[in-house]
Amino acid sequence: MPTPNPRRRDPRAQSPVESSSDELAAGSDHEEAERRRASWTMHKGFTPQRPYQQERQFTGSESPDELAVDADEYWRGSRRRRSPSPIKRPDSSHEGQSHDESEVLAEDGMTNVDETHDNAADAMSDRSPTPVPPPSPPPPSKPDHLNYKEKFVLRGHLRGVSAVQFSPDCSMIASAGADAAIKVWSTATGRLIYTFEGHLAGISTLAWSPDGQWIASGSDDKTIRFWNVNTLKPHTKNFVGHHNYVYQIAFTPKGNILISGSYDEAVFMWDVRRARVMRSLPAHSDPVAGIDVVHDGTLIVSCALDGLVRVWDTHSGQCLRTLVHEDNPPATCVKFSPNGKYILAWTLDGCVRLWNYVESRVIKTFQGHVNKKYSLSGCFGLYGPPDVKYTPPLCFAVSGSEDGAILFWDLVSKNTLQRLEGHTDVVLGVHTGKLDGKRLVVSCGLDKTVRVWEEASEDESPVAPGIATSDATPAEVNGQETPAHDEDGDDAMADAPPSGDATPAEDVTMT
Amino acid sequence: MNLSLVDPFILAQEYPDTLTEKLSSGHATCLRFNHSGDYLASGRVDGTVVIFDIETNGVARKLQGHTRQIQSLSWSRDGRYLLTSSQDWKCILWDLEDGSRVRTVRFEAPIYIAELHPFNHLLFVASLFEDQPVLVDVSSPKPIKRILPSAPLRPQPTNGEEVDPAVAAKQAAQDAKHSTCVTIFTAFGNHIIAGSSKGWINIIETETCTTIHSMRLCNGVVILMRLASNGRDLLVNSSDRVIRTVLMPDLSQLGIDLEPSNIKLQVEHKFQDVVNRLSWNHVTFSSTGEFVTATTFMNPDIYVWERSHGSLVKILEGPREELGVVEWHPSRPMVVACGLESGCVYTWSIVSPQKWSALAPDFGEVEENVEYMEREDEFDVHPAEQVHQRRLDQEDEEPDAVTHDTLKSATDPDVADGFGVPVLLDISDSESGEDIVTVGPGTMRRRTPGGGRDAVNGDTEKDTRSAANGVSRGSGRTRRR
Repeated sequence: MPTPNPRRRDPRAQSPVESSSDELAAGSDHEEAERRRASWTMHKGFTPQRPYQQERQFTGSESPDELAVDADEYWRGSRRRRSPSPIKRPDSSHEGQSHDESEVLAEDGMTNVDETHDNAADAMSDRSPTPVPPPSPPPPSKPDHLNYKEKFVLRGHLRGVSAVQFSPDCSMIASAGADAAIKVWSTATGRLIYTFEGHLAGISTLAWSPDGQWIASGSDDKTIRFWNVNTLKPHTKNFVGHHNYVYQIAFTPKGNILISGSYDEAVFMWDVRRARVMRSLPAHSDPVAGIDVVHDGTLIVSCALDGLVRVWDTHSGQCLRTLVHEDNPPATCVKFSPNGKYILAWTLDGCVRLWNYVESRVIKTFQGHVNKKYSLSGCFGLYGPPDVKYTPPLCFAVSGSEDGAILFWDLVSKNTLQRLEGHTDVVLGVHTGKLDGKRLVVSCGLDKTVRVWEEASEDESPVAPGIATSDATPAEVNGQETPAHDEDGDDAMADAPPSGDATPAEDVTMT
Repeated sequence: MNLSLVDPFILAQEYPDTLTEKLSSGHATCLRFNHSGDYLASGRVDGTVVIFDIETNGVARKLQGHTRQIQSLSWSRDGRYLLTSSQDWKCILWDLEDGSRVRTVRFEAPIYIAELHPFNHLLFVASLFEDQPVLVDVSSPKPIKRILPSAPLRPQPTNGEEVDPAVAAKQAAQDAKHSTCVTIFTAFGNHIIAGSSKGWINIIETETCTTIHSMRLCNGVVILMRLASNGRDLLVNSSDRVIRTVLMPDLSQLGIDLEPSNIKLQVEHKFQDVVNRLSWNHVTFSSTGEFVTATTFMNPDIYVWERSHGSLVKILEGPREELGVVEWHPSRPMVVACGLESGCVYTWSIVSPQKWSALAPDFGEVEENVEYMEREDEFDVHPAEQVHQRRLDQEDEEPDAVTHDTLKSATDPDVADGFGVPVLLDISDSESGEDIVTVGPGTMRRRTPGGGRDAVNGDTEKDTRSAANGVSRGSGRTRRR
């Protein structure tokens, strides 16, 4: 990946936030004190005007042209590199040798490719989904890969996209990024529904309210704003209180409390109804990068660049646990597992760790992605055939990577289940969802795109790896079409004023 | 999910000890938690009902429709519906989903207490001032009222025995003097327990509206009755300044193991202040029924008794005003009470200190100094990669990150996944506007109640009248918080 024009990069890369984490990353093998000092001086030296000016710059007259030229070139280049079809690359690596077997297995609805006698067992267990214990039936073998395929490429953001999330019912996708705009897309069609604008600086995080009516967004302009998806109007009250960039936000399950973590090292609990800080958690001594709330709302987890992950009691506001890994790498994102028993934590040493927070123990370390600099975010998800019951249920952790890939790890074996390629720059956010029985993943990144991936059923898979037939596959057809779309997209990007309204159709590339 | 991390000593504490919060929105006169304990409904002097969110201590919804002081509140089991009764001779059943009125029922007299059936939110009982209590079915828009008897059950004359007309007339005259002050449903709603002005407790069958058992409990007027969550313990406050706990038979066994003639109500404890002869404003059970709490007349304290021995365990120091209604949170050791003078809602709960060892994982809190035993290989130096690899190899657990623990089954399933009052952000929609508005830094002013209020569906005339009352009462007051 060539280093793009600095202006094209995520503005956060230029802002003190990123440069400090940059420092942190670079200094991860340096001494702790050195790192603290570096981040502190960057923090001190920050003048609030800078990011605002940068934000406004690209809306000026001369910069769009500059952007357009370079974006065009960049896109063609990147397309060439990605061609013929980026989607097939992950599959072709191992589907090549297991082609025949997976075809057979498709009938079982199973994805095992290991041994044949397992297949027989699967066929049995498939007929009787609940195996009887006495004859000690072989446990249903686990699929060893996933088969997500690119469904849509959603273009429209003018700069890097930092956060993406499915709405609670998964019918919509909200994305936000450095262009200070929040875009709402339809999951089913990939069309742009609306663009919310109003933030004065880039947006780092967003969250859907549990009732799906509101999108909350946290921005470098230090505010959190609410946007109503039904009325398409912003909330009259801004959530003002943080002294610095808002890094990550999360709702409690009831939606009455919003938790925010900020570069000002504080964690705030907001009373959503009154738009007022309810409680401030004396959280960390470095910027708070990650926030999450457990499914029943009783616990909050926060993590900071000081490498600490803290678990809080929502009701009393007290710290109940602090998790720290020996090497103390800066922690950039945390997520509770769906049942709330574990915490997944991203750290800038290129690891994602699964913690048993009750026992303060790392139980899994996931590696294989690149993470040295950015706050990557990820998610948990389920996989495997829905009609077979596994114990424990098949669960994966998914994360973006700074090399443009999306990685899925099996939670038990730590194996990489799939490596999705498609993004041409750092993948910052990944979220899982399910619409009409189809498992979906949405991702966003510095390449200004939001991509929707759909789990393809196994019977489609044999077509993809065959190199000879690849010309006829729909993906290839699309591969020829996409550059044209790209140009459209880029033109639109260059010509349209940044405040353009919903400009749906042309930005969507269907696969 | 936090139970595994919270200090067990804190969890073991059963009753609150410190005044922690003060909620204020108008002058509250009656309070009631919903069954899951997320929301607290508060009825105000001006007829407005305010739903507080216990988690944020903010106003979740305001319901406007009554024009006089609220007398009682009753939540439906799922927490979606709220029945309010007021001195304006009306009962309103509210749907908290959108704040609308499901039913409005008018009576011929002011209402003491109205309570919803525990499983059917379209059925309630109401005890009326100087009138017969009624069982009201509001399943159709036109309410069906059935009058409940107030008179105690007389022993039936045996066959062949002549009833003396004089005695009968005398009894009828006596019966006419009985009026019912409190009516509540039993746990399953099959029966109604009624307390009368002569100190009698009547058990009335809901289906037939006939009294099946009567018992004279005391000489005074029965002011208030509460059932514990187990449905078998009854708490009675009466005007003779004694709080009684009464053990009830299992009425669901009626007709199976139990005959109406065998029903016995047994007084378990009598709580009273023998020295000062204090009278009790309001009483409540704790969440488990193990404790009895009462506010006292002309006294700012809350008394907490435990029931196993009947001893006084705690007097909650209150604010400097007499307290009215007191309520206990349905699951937590938390008590709320409203001040009679200010109308503020005070909450008492447990304040847990921050454990500093939770902040620093390398440290532990020990009672006394412990000699540290070094592990054999503790300070051995291994290559970093080797350590890392070994660590990775040890990660051989099979975590289940999806399956939920079935811990919740202990609580009522209806209550567990109960209804959540929608979070409203727009003041215009919810009328959840603050009564206190910021004037300057640190200075608050009470918003005039008349301003910005629009009449909720109908009753325009009465609403404007009450608004006018509100202005005269509320204007000019200032408040600092």
